[in-house]
Amino acid sequence: MVLEATMICIDNSEWMRNGDYSPSRFQAQADAVNLICGAKTQSNPENTVGVLIMAGKGVRVLVTPTSDLGKILACMHGLEVGGEMNLAAGIQVAQLALKHRQNKKQQQRIIVFAGSPVKHEKKMLEMIGRKLKKNSVALDIVNFGEDDEEKTEKLESLLAAVNNNDTSHIVHVPAGPNALSDVLISTPIFTGDGEGGSGFAAAAAAAAAGGVSGYDFGVDPNLDPELALALRVSMEEERARQEAAAKKAAEDTSKQGGEQQAGSQEASSQDATMTERASASTSEAENKTTDLMDDENALLQQALAMSMDEPAVGHDVKDTDMSEASVDDPELALALQLSVADSTKDQASQSEVLADQSAVSDILASLPGVDLNDPSIKDLLASMQNKSEPQKKNDDKSSNEEKK
Amino acid sequence: MSGESATTAIHKGQVDLLDFIDWTSVECLNQSTTHSLPNAIKQGYREDEGLHLESDADEQLLLYIPFTQVIKLYSIAFKGPEDEGPKTVKLFSNKEHMGFSNVNDYPPSDTVVLSPEHLQVGKPVLLKYVKFQNVRSLTIFIEDNQTGSEITKVQKIQLIGSTVETTDMKGLKKIEDH
Repeated sequence: MVLEATMICIDNSEWMRNGDYSPSRFQAQADAVNLICGAKTQSNPENTVGVLIMAGKGVRVLVTPTSDLGKILACMHGLEVGGEMNLAAGIQVAQLALKHRQNKKQQQRIIVFAGSPVKHEKKMLEMIGRKLKKNSVALDIVNFGEDDEEKTEKLESLLAAVNNNDTSHIVHVPAGPNALSDVLISTPIFTGDGEGGSGFAAAAAAAAAGGVSGYDFGVDPNLDPELALALRVSMEEERARQEAAAKKAAEDTSKQGGEQQAGSQEASSQDATMTERASASTSEAENKTTDLMDDENALLQQALAMSMDEPAVGHDVKDTDMSEASVDDPELALALQLSVADSTKDQASQSEVLADQSAVSDILASLPGVDLNDPSIKDLLASMQNKSEPQKKNDDKSSNEEKK
Repeated sequence: MSGESATTAIHKGQVDLLDFIDWTSVECLNQSTTHSLPNAIKQGYREDEGLHLESDADEQLLLYIPFTQVIKLYSIAFKGPEDEGPKTVKLFSNKEHMGFSNVNDYPPSDTVVLSPEHLQVGKPVLLKYVKFQNVRSLTIFIEDNQTGSEITKVQKIQLIGSTVETTDMKGLKKIEDH
């Protein structure tokens, strides 16, 4: 919770085009900068962070120390890579920017990303380091990218000149599978000398690890134990309810036609998936929904099988549907049937409905621009008729009953 | 008060301004972490021979001492080793948050050059009183030391003056004694 004003010096030289850090050195650096800004502003709301670039046309301050995270992230956008890094000038400009900070009570800190080779003399860097120490400015160095003996030596000597009571640090990040940000999270640069930022660092590590966090619902039990408990309890309740509902559905489908049950089952499953998603769970929820989908599919398969194999049963269902609606108009009955069987997977009933030849031709006639005598339309109707031949008798029967 | 007059010879009406220092905002740039400012100005610490203020990266020191009320500064006394004690000292009145880079931007309110004799006994140096009539904070810039060594050491710093609002009651008594 140290009150701090930080200036981040970014290396946007040509060396940053290299892809040995995925996706590119520059992008890895940008991600790390974003994380650092977030950590700093979170550890103390009065902390300010500023950004400057060391390469390009020259050293340039992108944003002066501010606590507005949005401003910082915005200035990172659209940065171009090019030119050569000027480490000495960068540090000096950073020091100047910190000197003119608004809140003089803030401690001064500079974070340098040194990716390209260092062309300054060791003596000069030591002098700069001493000047920083004299003005009680702490310095953190991230040594990544280009790696040679000289560079490491120079940076180490710079750190030795600046370091006052272990407030300054250097981190060497070699190229590899780990992202730059991930490596930095565990360093004192993030954790702020062992206090403060560790909570944020833990959460960031969880997010970065991408689901392999150990937290069931993406909520740290340490940060918010009540919320985590509530989520767990509601998840268990939902699971129990799902199982009970599935059991009941399985029993019911064996008794009646599967359609309505499947429809209602699906609706309740959708509700369940909604609540689960709302609780922001991770892969667990996804597994759950796929299980539910499988259950639904199984039930629907049952329904389809039944309606295909046992026209009598399907017939009864349809009759109950119709009597419930209590209408005489065959087209309206058709529309009702369509709305009942509105599931996209429930194609069987739809095809049955469409196969009702007379109703379809009536509908088509009412459509503007469709001529029933058109050969293509006739062919279409004929093919549909052939497809649903076994169902045709059934449909005619029901429609005849309605007409009465 | 009378006990002090033997070595420090406080002018009548003037007091040690130790009590009026605002300790929460006292700052010192380029001080060594082990040998810090309180060693030189705090009561008890400054009398201790073993405790002193030391510079860190180079021989310069920048001290910022704010006061709890407005004071008039009469004289200043330094005590330290003859070889590493301060020599040229610049004083700035009412300038906040100065850095080493802008010490040369402003003319100092007064400049004091110390000799080894001053350092040995902590002899107070009279200042341009007119320049220190209305002091809220004092910045002391120790520019170099007696021998030009890397580190400057200061044993004790004493500020002598009077307050503006009220005259110190102790000081009044002293006059009456005479």
